[in-house]
Amino acid sequence: MFSGTTGIQHEEALIFEREHHNASSIQLPGVEAELSSELLAFQRQKSAHIPNLSEPETVRHFVRMSQWNHGIETGFYPLGSCTMKHNPRINEQIARLDGFAHIHPEQADESVQGTLQIMHQLSQDLGEISGFAHVSLQPAAGAHGELTGLMMIRACMDERKQTQRRVVLVPDSAHGTNPASAALCGMRTIEIPSASNGRIDLEILATYLNDEVAAFMITNPNTTGMFESDIQRICDMVHEAGALVYGDGANLNALVGMARPGDMGIDCLHINVHKTFATPHGGGGPGAGPIAVNDTLAAFLPVPRIIKTEDEHYHLQYEATQSIGSMLGSMGQVGVLLRASAYIAAFGRDKLHMIAQDAVLNANYVLSRLKDHYDVPFAGLCKHECLLTDAKQQEYGIKTLDIAKYLIDLGMHPMTVYFPLIVQGAMLIEPTETESKQTLDDFCDAMIDIARMAKEEPEPLHQAPQKPIRTRLDEVQAARKPVLVWPEEA
Amino acid sequence: MRFLPHTDADRSDMLAQMGMQSMQELFADIPENFHIEQGSLSLAKAKSEVDILRTFKAAANKNSDAQQNRCFLGAGTYHHAIPAAVDYIISRGEFLTAYTPYQPEISQGTLQALFEFQTIIARLLGMEVANASLYDAATAVAEAALMARRITRRKDVILAGNINPRYSKVCDNYLSYLDGDCHHVSDFEQLTSQLDKKISCVIIQNPDFYGRVQDLHTLREQCSQHGILLVVCFGDISAYGLIAPPGEYGADIAVGSGQSLGIPMGYGGPHLGLLSCKKKYLRQIPGRLCGMTQDNQGRRAFTLTLSTREQHIRREKATSNICTNQGLMCTAAASYMSLMGDAGLEQVAKRSAAALQRLTQGLPPHILADEGVHYNETVLHFPSQQERDDFLARAQQVNIFAGIPLERIKSTASKAALLVATTEMIEANDIDDYLQLLGGQ
Amino acid sequence: MSIPTDLKYTKDHEWVRLEGETAIFGISQHAQEALGDIVFVELPELETKLDAGEAIAVVESVKAVSDVYVPVTGEVIKINELLEETPELVNNDSYGQGWIAKLKVSADMDTSSLMDATAYQAFLDQ
Repeated sequence: MFSGTTGIQHEEALIFEREHHNASSIQLPGVEAELSSELLAFQRQKSAHIPNLSEPETVRHFVRMSQWNHGIETGFYPLGSCTMKHNPRINEQIARLDGFAHIHPEQADESVQGTLQIMHQLSQDLGEISGFAHVSLQPAAGAHGELTGLMMIRACMDERKQTQRRVVLVPDSAHGTNPASAALCGMRTIEIPSASNGRIDLEILATYLNDEVAAFMITNPNTTGMFESDIQRICDMVHEAGALVYGDGANLNALVGMARPGDMGIDCLHINVHKTFATPHGGGGPGAGPIAVNDTLAAFLPVPRIIKTEDEHYHLQYEATQSIGSMLGSMGQVGVLLRASAYIAAFGRDKLHMIAQDAVLNANYVLSRLKDHYDVPFAGLCKHECLLTDAKQQEYGIKTLDIAKYLIDLGMHPMTVYFPLIVQGAMLIEPTETESKQTLDDFCDAMIDIARMAKEEPEPLHQAPQKPIRTRLDEVQAARKPVLVWPEEA
Repeated sequence: MRFLPHTDADRSDMLAQMGMQSMQELFADIPENFHIEQGSLSLAKAKSEVDILRTFKAAANKNSDAQQNRCFLGAGTYHHAIPAAVDYIISRGEFLTAYTPYQPEISQGTLQALFEFQTIIARLLGMEVANASLYDAATAVAEAALMARRITRRKDVILAGNINPRYSKVCDNYLSYLDGDCHHVSDFEQLTSQLDKKISCVIIQNPDFYGRVQDLHTLREQCSQHGILLVVCFGDISAYGLIAPPGEYGADIAVGSGQSLGIPMGYGGPHLGLLSCKKKYLRQIPGRLCGMTQDNQGRRAFTLTLSTREQHIRREKATSNICTNQGLMCTAAASYMSLMGDAGLEQVAKRSAAALQRLTQGLPPHILADEGVHYNETVLHFPSQQERDDFLARAQQVNIFAGIPLERIKSTASKAALLVATTEMIEANDIDDYLQLLGGQ
Repeated sequence: MSIPTDLKYTKDHEWVRLEGETAIFGISQHAQEALGDIVFVELPELETKLDAGEAIAVVESVKAVSDVYVPVTGEVIKINELLEETPELVNNDSYGQGWIAKLKVSADMDTSSLMDATAYQAFLDQ
């Protein structure tokens, strides 16, 4: 059973609370010389007051802090919509090879052929997996991919002399990044209500399509974990109305190797490699959000582009007439993309489908074990994640938040809570393919027991979590009186 | 498959418990015509771990890296020394494999690291607050422009002086979808006449793209006279270990790259976009913020805060669409700075500047360095493109990355110009070799 | 909860106190309860002129944000600066110290779309 969080945990002060060491303990290489008085005239007036810790102190400081964290290497992390799967260690080793880690982005193309070759192959592989002919690896994250894609769609509408098309239709179940990205590229978002089955209703959609619409953004499977089976009809309708279909690829893990968004009529899709292709989330990033497009949008892809010549030579191309331009100061988050590339290599064409199969198997298995104990808002098969609510527990005064916090005491990371927004008390559970049946059973047993506790002994649920180094936080105080930096001593 | 724990028996057992016979049934909701035949994708076959390592090592070996070469390349990415402990710390699975800290009780490690990071960045830049990162310097410049537009409710932006074209192009691009203009003004005299009530901010790089350090006090005053925000951007934050940071001359917003703080060059990413500002602009900051509070037992604790600015709550009215940021790179920067302290960073800066000084002082008469006061970067002007390119080729033969042909980044630049940068990784004998190849002493 | 009878109400849960050529408004007890702990109020700028129903302020809790719409047409002549430091006044005293702004209005303006306490109670009960 669960060990929870009973390990040895240390309190650890901020580095600023330590005695201020005045001399750096680091020995540096390099040139020592008297600097010119012209330069020293610009010297900073006030010390930055950043303490200098020795290596043993620094390592212990951060290792202690690390032990207050739950990561996918620590335990189950069924955070819906986030695809928290195992991050293979070989990928870390690869990204740290000198030939990859210590090359400069403005080095001559001839001196970085190895990286360009892998990046070129990766864009082809991602295109093949998602069903699109063209890919740019530049976007730094999913939301950045959305922005890139919408800019391309806007450029396409302008080229078609359809400059009045400035509306982006977004289902009310969409990720918040969708409307935010649309606003950032000067477009207006109109939200489309979901049907009672949580899916897009064709009749409702039809009423929103007109000659002001530039794009319809769709997440498929959607954020309730269900596949939009009408996808082809949806894409046809959008195209008939003169608009394009943007695919939010956050949920690609459900399809990889089994079906391809590009085959379904979607024009443009970003791929969260930090989800589907197992690059580590790092406590918030970095990620990468390559954007894949069909022929309609190819001319607008950002620069630089990786060009492969006939003699197997690669170079970066910065000039492209119809390109939307650059989205980042470099060609992309190469270190992240290398890891994704290694992940694809491990599965290959013969095993890639096992990712989606096991991911979908695991989510449905969890759903089948929990469906009698929790309210299931939308019946039917789910894909890579399943959605429950707290409706049954509400009558005993137990809410989604209580359930989530109690899971922490059992040594598991909670599921995504209160998202999608269209479902009251939502609990979105995404186990991923890298969890064993034993882990899933432990989780389901725990959830079933929580449902029992809600009825019979709810108090520990209200009090949770008790075991981690900190209990429930005062987030109201944090927001009312924001303290974002440690104050300097007067 | 080594990343998948299930045995075939597990799979059959689980399917059976759901009353299913095959995996295909799980995909019955996807129309038949979209199902792809297994193994039909045009990809290589699955590789063993050993094979993968061999393949990638072979590719890495085709690259020429800065560990085997003397690297005089800059333009926003610098080969500074990285203590081994930094990489160890960010390789810890608890930091590496955690998501954004949505559940603060089990994310205090990431959160305290972020709080320390925000404090470090604010102090280094001499500013009051800093966020928990943006993607890179280029997008940070764009976000700063958008932020200034929101604060001032004015639409035009001036990109002044010599800004890295990699930054200004992204900024231009972001702004081109919105009302208002983005003016490029390289000449200071001209700049003064363009300041008016339409301008939300003046964005200027200091040290600039060519490494030149500028006195911005006058510009600060001129901006204030018109209610314009001063945004200072930077490519190598190590500069502020030595020279005056943007806060000391009253910048409203400071943005740039934190790559120099313990992050490898990695062919351009992942790097670290930084954003800091005056506290009064707090609610217009894009991206995540970590704040201090307490738990229900009164113990100090940290949490993401002011989330109502962000996309998951404010949606189309959010301050930015950013969600995933550069989290782990913040932990890298915090651990780097903990090892260095302000004193260590000052040493980094002094050595980076001393190396450039040694180089420019030893130049032969036919090679001219840019005028003005430079930190660790400058432009060398050759008599001709031919001479420059010959030099680059000769340098490459003795493992020197001698500089970036300026036109690679700035297409209008002279093809006889070379952008050269130095760090503490450059030794005196590297510079002597460099000068010897140039025909100097 | 008791709804003051000397105030008028909107369907967006703002209240307004009409006094000749001035009007003071805030959000109702019901609205503040629905939002939870208020952590920030974005106040309007002085001299802002708005038509009834336009967004004039923003109230934020930790995880929600809500526009406040001006109940009547007018010009902002005073704002409740106390809310800058103590936004919790909206929670603790929504009809009193938690007021948001004071407007200059025209005495003969149309107030027919506003509800009285009884009508608002009925609206809440629906």
